[in-house]
Amino acid sequence: MSTTEGAATLARTGWTLGVLGAGAVASVLSSVMLGSVNLPARDVASVFFGEGSALARLLVLELRLPRTLAAFATGGLLAVAGALMQVLLRNPLADPYVLGISGGAAVGALLTMISGLGLAWISGSAFAGALLSTLIVFGLAHGTGSWTPTRLLLTGVVVAAGWGAVITFLLAVRPSPELPGMLYWLMGDLAHARGNVLPWLTLIVIVGLALPLGRSLNVLARGPLQAAVLGVSVRRLEWTVYLLAALVTAVAVTTAGTIGFVGLIIPHMLRLVIGNDQRLLLPASALAGGILLTLADTLARTVIAPEQLPVGVITAMLGVPVFLYLLYRSRT
Amino acid sequence: MPASPARSRPPRLWWLAVLVFALVLPQAAPAAGGGNISVSDDRGRSVELSEPAQRIVSLAPHLTELLFAVGAGDRIVATVAHADYPDAARSIPRVGTAAQLDLEGLLAASPDLVIAWGSGSPGTALERLEKLGITVYYSEPGDFAGIAADLRRLGRLAGQPERGVREARAFLNAVATLREEFGERPEVSVFYQVWDQPLMTVNDGHLIGEAIRLCRGQNVFGHLDSLVPRPGLETVIAADPEAIVSGGPGEDREDWLEAWRDWNQLTAVQRDNLFFIPPSLLQRHTPRLADGTRMLCEALELARERRAGPRR
Amino acid sequence: MSASLLSLDGLVIDIPGRPAGMALDFPLLPGECWGLLGPNGAGKTTLLHTLAGLRRPRAGQVRLDGDDLHRMPRRRIAQRLGLVFQDHHDGFPSTVLETALIGRHPFLRAWNMENAQDHDLARQALSRMDLGDLAGRQVQTLSGGERQRLALATLLTQDPPLWLLDEPTNHLDLHHQVAVLDLVREEVASGSRGAVMALHDLNLAATYCTHLVLMYPDGGMCWGPTSEIFHVQALERLFRQKLAVIDSPEGPWVRPVPGDRRTLA
Repeated sequence: MSTTEGAATLARTGWTLGVLGAGAVASVLSSVMLGSVNLPARDVASVFFGEGSALARLLVLELRLPRTLAAFATGGLLAVAGALMQVLLRNPLADPYVLGISGGAAVGALLTMISGLGLAWISGSAFAGALLSTLIVFGLAHGTGSWTPTRLLLTGVVVAAGWGAVITFLLAVRPSPELPGMLYWLMGDLAHARGNVLPWLTLIVIVGLALPLGRSLNVLARGPLQAAVLGVSVRRLEWTVYLLAALVTAVAVTTAGTIGFVGLIIPHMLRLVIGNDQRLLLPASALAGGILLTLADTLARTVIAPEQLPVGVITAMLGVPVFLYLLYRSRT
Repeated sequence: MPASPARSRPPRLWWLAVLVFALVLPQAAPAAGGGNISVSDDRGRSVELSEPAQRIVSLAPHLTELLFAVGAGDRIVATVAHADYPDAARSIPRVGTAAQLDLEGLLAASPDLVIAWGSGSPGTALERLEKLGITVYYSEPGDFAGIAADLRRLGRLAGQPERGVREARAFLNAVATLREEFGERPEVSVFYQVWDQPLMTVNDGHLIGEAIRLCRGQNVFGHLDSLVPRPGLETVIAADPEAIVSGGPGEDREDWLEAWRDWNQLTAVQRDNLFFIPPSLLQRHTPRLADGTRMLCEALELARERRAGPRR
Repeated sequence: MSASLLSLDGLVIDIPGRPAGMALDFPLLPGECWGLLGPNGAGKTTLLHTLAGLRRPRAGQVRLDGDDLHRMPRRRIAQRLGLVFQDHHDGFPSTVLETALIGRHPFLRAWNMENAQDHDLARQALSRMDLGDLAGRQVQTLSGGERQRLALATLLTQDPPLWLLDEPTNHLDLHHQVAVLDLVREEVASGSRGAVMALHDLNLAATYCTHLVLMYPDGGMCWGPTSEIFHVQALERLFRQKLAVIDSPEGPWVRPVPGDRRTLA
């Protein structure tokens, strides 16, 4: 009886990952085939076989493919970070930004833009700002002793608000010529995504860690006392998860600005369908988050071409109806 | 206008031909299409083309204007939203806005030269274009001389060097004329309004600030550090400028000036020194800046006349 | 003399705001079933959590195999003792079977998935707790009694040598109360296990526990075999309640005397 139970779980896992994998491939393909310039599908396909017109090769290989890959990796990172935050804080309303990481990154980037340093500095200081914010929140929450998720959450919310105030101040007092670019970055912008190595490396590593960490996270989700009594080193695991989630979020925000909604909604949606086993939920979130953001970005740059919509608007418009539908169905 | 290629001459005049050719060649080289065009842009970079650009993409409305001014309008294959002067510019295909470029469309237009706005065009996109080997010219004129320089350089890049030189000279002459007419006039304190919500103005370092100085206006916020300061309403009222000059939400809407009329303790309101100048004549770095500056100088002159006595 | 499952070494539990109580000093041996009796606030839960290594004592130590429990890796502790809490929180939705399965966590290596044997253990535990039919149900839909039995099933799946149980009969109907305590007694009597239970019901404690600890609200403690400790005067003093004793072949039965509110010394 239990072998069929095990087999059923394995089958469900395989089926889920298979469907998501197919979705990932489909979303990447459609993103590469569509753009503000209409390229016939055959032309695009021939690029991958080493041929194709010069324009097609240029657009597909230099513009669309890097952007698609960046979108997929960023979406995956945000979804995984959201899942980790929800486990850490034992709160389904947590998202990657609730602990002020995006605020710190934004302040870092904004200061660089204002001081006129080169573009390469922007990514670096965004990352530094994210990590600084992580340390501040962690240090403050730790305070004089025990470190509960509630305390961490409250500290994070306050620090995030503090960063928000700093950002508003900087925008108001020194309106630099980079202002439009900065606003787009704050809304989330894949047009300026730089580099694919770091996001993909981070994504692969974090998904790789899902298996060994996953079961401990499942137990941790039941409460710190219950987890401790079942052999989980609760403090150490919570630190690890927090730092991992912060790192993952920092990489995502540095790549494409603060894209909202993905980190909150994707783990939720998946949980309604496949349950809360983190060993499946984390890789599935990576795939589903990548699919959502890739689709959203494709729409963002084609719907009103040659102009672009902010991608955060599209993720909301795509995600909300699907989520509501799943929620409705799961009532029964 | 290619020079006639050297044809074989009878030997006795051969050395004459070489001499003539040696003298003519340097001036004719760009036109002959056989040599390099090399200019430096407003960032001090060296921009080189092997022949005049045939397919130009301009990344700001005022840059489109500059290109039309040097006779290169027909070579523009793509530009950005709001490029509306001259009328022919409206029909050029768009590739996004100045701040948010449509890179695909831009690349599909196969440009051999891209004119970018130093402070307005997105840096990462331009970086990517340069990495793909596309020649980019950054325009960022800070003063009247800078506009003239841009006219000359764009003329050379677009194969219209003499036209570029001519337009630059005409522009500088117009400015010089204004200096002669108004350069010795008594100062008038003035507030120039760039935007109303929030209230924005310019300081002395701004190009508009320079225009104000030329007309012997004294910008009440000229001393501030920021290029585009945002004073509070109280500060403007306290400064009590003699004249208020503003643009508007459109080329012919004087809404912002009307709003100032409510404050009738202001000198400018009492003397009706509220002057509207279409924004594109002062806020775009083009030859039309001379027209806008003329309007500004005449407005300030009117303000001086009104010092004498009650309103007409 | 078999090795002790746990050893209390001058142990003084820490209740914030209360001065230190008496030190506890005795071993927990296999085959013993200890009952903790005392009014609310006396520290029964605190003692159980201290024994499980979840709280630090104010003084003294808890020893496992001679070593201080608090210095040990949690995984090792979890293989030797298990604790059923008074309250159960289930943050995210999960099934009954999944909840029982987490009992196997201390025995699985990081990279392992649960195998058929683990599933078997969990299912057996569920059926012993009369939950066999509910394996696929969502835990949020369980009644209080079912959830309590599920917590016990998790412990059974974990199957450690020492069982710590915080009011295991809460929410259970009479049938299941007896069934659970029968199970505990059976497992302990087999000789390889021990148990410590916090109980409210004096008679159940007398019936099922081999040893008792009386925990007084001022910090005083007395402990020993049930036959020595279970005396009506001590119990009256403990609960500040007049009791009536009835002798029976199975042992003394006590019941409260209603209305008698005399404060007893």
